[in-house]
Amino acid sequence: MKKWILLQLILIINISPILTAQSIVNSKHNLSISSRSIVKSTNESEICIFCHTPHKSNPASPLWNRNNPGSVYTLYNSATLQALTGQPDGSSILCLSCHDGSIALGNVISRTKVIDFETGNYMPKGNSNLTRNLKNDHPISFVYNSAIALSDGQLKDPASITAPISLERGKVQCTSCHDPHKNLYSDFLLVPQQNSNLCNSCHQRTYWTGSSHSTSNHLWNGVFPNPWPFADQSMITVAQNGCESCHNSHNSKGNLMLLKYQEEENNCLDCHNGNVASKNISAQFAKTYKHNIKGFINIHEANESALVTNMHVECIDCHNPHASKNQTAKAPFVTGFLVGVKGINQNGIAVNPATNSFEICYRCHAGSPGAPASSTLRQIDQNNVRLEFAPNNPSSHSITAVGVNSNVPSLIAPWTTISLMYCTDCHSSDGTESPVGPHGSIYPHILKLQYLTADNTVESTTACALCYSCHSRTSIMADNSFKGHSKHLASRTSCNVCHDPHGISSTQGNSTNNSNLINFATSVVSNSSSGIRRFDDLGLFHGRCYLTCHGVNHNPFTY
Amino acid sequence: MKKLYTLLSIISFITMSQFGYAQHIAGSAHDFTTQSWNSGVGAEICIVCHTPHNANTSVTNAPLWNHSLSALPSYTMYSSATMNSTAGQPDGSSKLCLSCHDGTVALENFGGVTTGTHPMTGTSLVGSDLSNDHPISITYDAALASSDGGLFNPTTQVSGLGGTITANMLVGNKMQCSSCHDVHNSAGVSKLLVKSNAASALCLTCHNK
Repeated sequence: MKKWILLQLILIINISPILTAQSIVNSKHNLSISSRSIVKSTNESEICIFCHTPHKSNPASPLWNRNNPGSVYTLYNSATLQALTGQPDGSSILCLSCHDGSIALGNVISRTKVIDFETGNYMPKGNSNLTRNLKNDHPISFVYNSAIALSDGQLKDPASITAPISLERGKVQCTSCHDPHKNLYSDFLLVPQQNSNLCNSCHQRTYWTGSSHSTSNHLWNGVFPNPWPFADQSMITVAQNGCESCHNSHNSKGNLMLLKYQEEENNCLDCHNGNVASKNISAQFAKTYKHNIKGFINIHEANESALVTNMHVECIDCHNPHASKNQTAKAPFVTGFLVGVKGINQNGIAVNPATNSFEICYRCHAGSPGAPASSTLRQIDQNNVRLEFAPNNPSSHSITAVGVNSNVPSLIAPWTTISLMYCTDCHSSDGTESPVGPHGSIYPHILKLQYLTADNTVESTTACALCYSCHSRTSIMADNSFKGHSKHLASRTSCNVCHDPHGISSTQGNSTNNSNLINFATSVVSNSSSGIRRFDDLGLFHGRCYLTCHGVNHNPFTY
Repeated sequence: MKKLYTLLSIISFITMSQFGYAQHIAGSAHDFTTQSWNSGVGAEICIVCHTPHNANTSVTNAPLWNHSLSALPSYTMYSSATMNSTAGQPDGSSKLCLSCHDGTVALENFGGVTTGTHPMTGTSLVGSDLSNDHPISITYDAALASSDGGLFNPTTQVSGLGGTITANMLVGNKMQCSSCHDVHNSAGVSKLLVKSNAASALCLTCHNK
């Protein structure tokens, strides 16, 4: 007897998925009184009738039983959209005869009276009601051909799209993604959306395969906001949610690019806030000195020039969310976090993608309007970082090429005079646990360590912590290179007074007066009694200074 | 033993009840005895369509046909991008239905009368444009079911009328008006359907949706 019950149970379990999943009868599109869903009619038993009639249909195919909404729709658009969108047509306008919310669900041609519904006669507000505003919905009713795939560059040739995904007379329509009769996967989708299976049927984003967002197994820790509010219950990792981690194909709040949020950074920070991703990037932006991503909205354009001309900064100015991955690199090359981002190369030419990390910084810090001015007034003023780091400069930190100076005794291993460094070796979030990168810091200029520049700063391990992280304090104080280092530092002259940390452009300086990053801060260093303010390089560890500093006349002092 | 009896009696009740509830053409939408255009022929119900002698045999297997046939050379047939069947012109018994329902022949044009003045009007008129009507006169076989993917195999799927779809609803493997409609109203369902369409049962007999 028990065996019987067991057998019956097995039978029920085996059959039930077929019963519940494959038929319209058990789907939300059963609007009849027998429906299990909330939106259902009060007395109509027929199921097909809400869409189809065997006679006098309009339009004739597919024996349609509903009126054309006759609405004018606001269409999706974006700066990078290649498709020519028009008003909805084909099967999409049929779907909209319920889903724009303008026609009563029970208003069918074959009935003289509107069929009443339990929940109100119109499509309830919510995700299924697209309204007449389709600008926050994936575009439909556009021709999708090889030419569009080619001009977009990140779409499959439609000839390679395979069943069950299909075009309707060459156009993408609602039916390209949805089968109104079968809710095999949620939302009547034709294929499971896990790992963005459906999206990837047409979209082939460059870099996507292998990116963190396509492979990460990170879970949401349950602290709100939910980064995946519409996800199927089976989609619990970043990789499983894929595109939907950032994009909603319908009723997206961001409109542009169908992003979840209009505030660009919010699309990133609902995962990168410690709730999903391992590092809390969001916390960095609460600090005083930061790339102020929250200060700009709707200025970044997907197709903007590599050289930023309208001041703004967003996560996507430095990161490509379709490409980013946790992969190390050696300076100057971009790390995985910066893969697939456009940049300006050392010659000032736009490159896409940037191969060197500094090229991404140059997007804004190489002459763009609004770029921060030098905070220290110097003999030679230069605000274009690209010129400050040019390989042929008399001296510069080794961002773009090996430094000019082959004798730097203070360097702490593994640094050597042939090392190249990243901008982010100095400009990065403070705190040893913080994510790498110039997101936000408690120190000015988004420096990762303290760098006190004020005149009369008392020298200490912490006052010049930034410099001392690479240049041994012991070596400096032992006067291994410039024999007056310890004396100057003891007399409360900060590194910044004599040294210009970026470099001196070859267009302004020369190897005699500006070697060793010498470019005096004019607020501290004035002319000597003979009216000269100049450094002369006299060979290795030897030089001559004409200047007055802290009341001491160097006219000149030679070492 | 008692259980078996109960079971048997339930089965027999269900079987019997089909006959018990069987309806007739009398009083149905196809009973024209009270129509003004039909007043000249007394109370004969069958005569509008049938005659025992000298029947019209131009349609193959026409059942002692008495109504003038439509002279329309062609009809506009249903078509759709996703339709796998090939829709030809109406044939078989569907032509008989259209002799009234395309609206070109007067209802009283039967038994040799050609001067009738009452063509069909209203909701039952399908006209000569059949593009907004369910396709008819199409071959519906296992191959079609397989290529379409959204249709049951008619040779194995039960119709709910005692046998398979092929056996009960098709004529020579073809879907015709008679697949859905029983002109003699045996089922007693509105619109002379062969069976009730409650819960879209008639549609879902063939459509695997």
